[in-house]
Amino acid sequence: MTQTQAAKRPKPFVFPEFCKGCGRCIEVCPKECISFATEIHPQTGLIPIVLDLEACNGCGLCITACPEPYGLRPETPGADFELQDPEAMFGPRPTAAPEPVARPDRTVALPELAPMVIKGNYAAAIGALLAGCRHVYGYPITPSTEGAELMAKVLPQLDGVFLQAVSEVAAVNLMYGCGGAGLRAMTFTSSPGFSLMTEGLSYMIGAELPGVFVNLMRGGPGLGNIAPEQADIKQVCRGLGHGNTHAIVLAPATPQEMLDLTLLAFDLSIQYRNPVIVLGDGYLGQMTGRVTLPTRMVEPGMPEWAVAGDGEHRRNLICSIYLSDRDLEEHNRHLLAKYAEMTSREQRADLFYAGDAETLIVACNTPAQMAKGAVQELRQRGVRVGLFRPVTLWPFPIQKLLPLLPKVERIVVVEASPGQLEDELRLALSKASVYRPPLIESVRHYGGVLPSQSEIVAQVLAAQEVAS
Amino acid sequence: MTTSIFYDRFERHAHGEGLKGHSTHYCPGCGHGLAHKFLAEAIDELGIQDRTVAISPVGCSVFLYYYMDVGNSQAAHGRAPAVAIGHKTANPDAIVVSYQGDGDLASIGLAEIVSTAQLGIPISVIFINNAIYGMTGGQMAPTTLMGQKSATSPTGRNPLMGEPLRMAELVAGLTGPVYVERVALYDAKQRTRAKKAIRKALECQVEKRGFSFVEVLSECPTHLGMNPQEAERWVAEEMTKVFPLGLLKDTPEARFPELPRPSFAVEPLLAAIAATGELPERFATGFPKHLAPHDVALKLAGAGGDGAQTAAMLITRAAIHEGFDSTHIPSYGPESRGGTSYADVHVAEREVLSPAAANPHILVAFNAPSLAKFGPAVLPGGTVIYDSSVIREVPPIAAGVQVHGVPLTQIAADLGRVVVKNVVALGALCAATGLLPRESLLAAIRLALKDKCAMIPLNEEAFAWGEKSVQTH
Repeated sequence: MTQTQAAKRPKPFVFPEFCKGCGRCIEVCPKECISFATEIHPQTGLIPIVLDLEACNGCGLCITACPEPYGLRPETPGADFELQDPEAMFGPRPTAAPEPVARPDRTVALPELAPMVIKGNYAAAIGALLAGCRHVYGYPITPSTEGAELMAKVLPQLDGVFLQAVSEVAAVNLMYGCGGAGLRAMTFTSSPGFSLMTEGLSYMIGAELPGVFVNLMRGGPGLGNIAPEQADIKQVCRGLGHGNTHAIVLAPATPQEMLDLTLLAFDLSIQYRNPVIVLGDGYLGQMTGRVTLPTRMVEPGMPEWAVAGDGEHRRNLICSIYLSDRDLEEHNRHLLAKYAEMTSREQRADLFYAGDAETLIVACNTPAQMAKGAVQELRQRGVRVGLFRPVTLWPFPIQKLLPLLPKVERIVVVEASPGQLEDELRLALSKASVYRPPLIESVRHYGGVLPSQSEIVAQVLAAQEVAS
Repeated sequence: MTTSIFYDRFERHAHGEGLKGHSTHYCPGCGHGLAHKFLAEAIDELGIQDRTVAISPVGCSVFLYYYMDVGNSQAAHGRAPAVAIGHKTANPDAIVVSYQGDGDLASIGLAEIVSTAQLGIPISVIFINNAIYGMTGGQMAPTTLMGQKSATSPTGRNPLMGEPLRMAELVAGLTGPVYVERVALYDAKQRTRAKKAIRKALECQVEKRGFSFVEVLSECPTHLGMNPQEAERWVAEEMTKVFPLGLLKDTPEARFPELPRPSFAVEPLLAAIAATGELPERFATGFPKHLAPHDVALKLAGAGGDGAQTAAMLITRAAIHEGFDSTHIPSYGPESRGGTSYADVHVAEREVLSPAAANPHILVAFNAPSLAKFGPAVLPGGTVIYDSSVIREVPPIAAGVQVHGVPLTQIAADLGRVVVKNVVALGALCAATGLLPRESLLAAIRLALKDKCAMIPLNEEAFAWGEKSVQTH
């Protein structure tokens, strides 16, 4: 290297307040130009280096050795670095990346189609495809597996992605990444798998990411069995991982609703930037029935907040960290406001002969169909009984229930769980300041046994006898 | 050697106030800053700033997103590779970097890193190995050296704690990755190599070659209880003995298949889900009220392979094509792959309510255990069809239930294909109960066989023999 070239190479400079005094530069300098200062820097409490550049040939090894982005830097040619200040040097704005703009969804009309005869799992998968979902991540688990199987078959034909994850833990984090990129991701799972996903759900809720979870509940606790149960209601309504979490929980009762509510789940998930749970029982995944397709499908746009991996979205961050307690409290207030909005706007229920019911059955999923059969049978006998079927389990549709209560003498909660639906009902009544609710009775089964129509009929009739 | 990849001001670092606006949160002498710098320089040199998505892990480098002016996504502990694949599959043009420490990658995230590496989808993993847990305060890492003292190995790591895990070797042993190298930061020569390796890891992704992995031996002076110079020497002299530096895998000719970009066209979607505008032909003149006023319950039961589920599905389809509602619940799980197999079917005039069929109007039993179990549950006035080729003893069945023993297996065997015994059963069911018109069931059979047309005449014959066997009964 000639003397002239060496002279042209910039020499290092450093703002002492940005030097942590690690000394990596000192030992790498061949000309021994760098040493530790003799005094602690008053702003950092650290001893920075000092430069004596008389012998410096601008080799740059010190700059490569400095771990700090704004530590040792080449001096700007012609500038008097003694007079420079960081603000002026590094720019006032944190980034030059543009402000992204949301690209809205487009709805596309579908031709008139014949009803399909398909399993609930397939119906949910088709609902997701029509909602614009082309990314499915999952782990096989009975009784939800056919959803993943159909997606594995269909998505390659639509240039989508089905990826079988190493576990449910990985599956939810694949959804976190894909949802973070602004796309519609989903999974099919069942109770034990859903438990594993709750860690990731807490992160998705914290980072405000969309994603749809179809959970077809099976018998528990533990490995339990693969028969239908409803004992994840507590988990989805009250236990979505750690922290202040909630998600809208939609409870289908038929294969048709497996499609309709999965489609709706994507809308709500994108709208609120929050995961949505489609909670069915094992029967709903396995049951084949008539499914009518909607008249429209969605071609998804791109939300402005996504980390899409392009220049437009470069400034974005997907993150659930708020290190300062004040910031995290503010974030929680924001989440709570969102939950409040969901609670006031998204309560859904289906009523069957409920208007004049003196005995009101409360049930969801397949047991609600059994209950519907019971109501029909009892009405033929002249019993004033009706069905209140929550379609959203969270938020519990208390606004739809309150107007019915003046006529209701008894509530019979029918469920394949040890009172988890009843707990949601009681909590909702309590929060609505209904301090003297009607007498609440129950028909319950556990471990994969569903309440039967005849049991429900018997319970309602027994209540009638007591009343009369 | 300066780069615009760092934010002009670190606004996410305590709101960018004071020194934090331009200083990292790392301790003096920490290797993370160097790895960040080399990553930033490589992004700059390759011109991929806009496309880059950096995944911040949990650990000391959890705040990577404070510094890098790229798309940022922060992952749960150990899950960064899964999050990275989520981003990559969402946008194949994105250059996704999973930056992880040794607790994150080699302990809690082992399943994610090993499966992602073997998957081979092009992402770049920068693995910082400093042989200690930094953020939680100096606990033992999977990479802690034997004898090394830490907060959870206070007298030094001993054999009861297992030996240090060599991740680069483990990852290089997989067939998925295209490039694996271990580098260090302790002197100018190693830093040059480290920078090149990080750049190469990104190039592997830009060129769509595949999954790349760079393990960086790094200094944690704070938790080693050393000054930065001692820590550098310790890495050079002690760590490299256990974690030898160098290239472990490089397959320059490898190319990963192109990742798909979704289509939202209507026609391919309808074709893929087999949705059609063609309404099926109807044959029924009304609901079979002679069986039940509004809702007929059926149970089809046998051994796995008897075809009970297929027959149930055909009834459901035929009924829905006739404009009725119908449901079919299979017994699912281990028994559906052998053993017993039950199907509950309802055909309802308007809506199926209770979809289970504990007390059916119609039972089709393909074997003796099924008949013994469900025969007594058939409702009075109902119908039982059982395979008389295999069932010798008929259990007590309620008075008023019609019982038809039909040699289903024998008829099917005579036709040359035992598998059509379920279609024989459908024919018998049709003739014995009048649940649905024969044309209706035959149309469902033909539709199911539309890709195996050659099988249609045999099935039609089987159906006819089933009908005949009941009529002549």
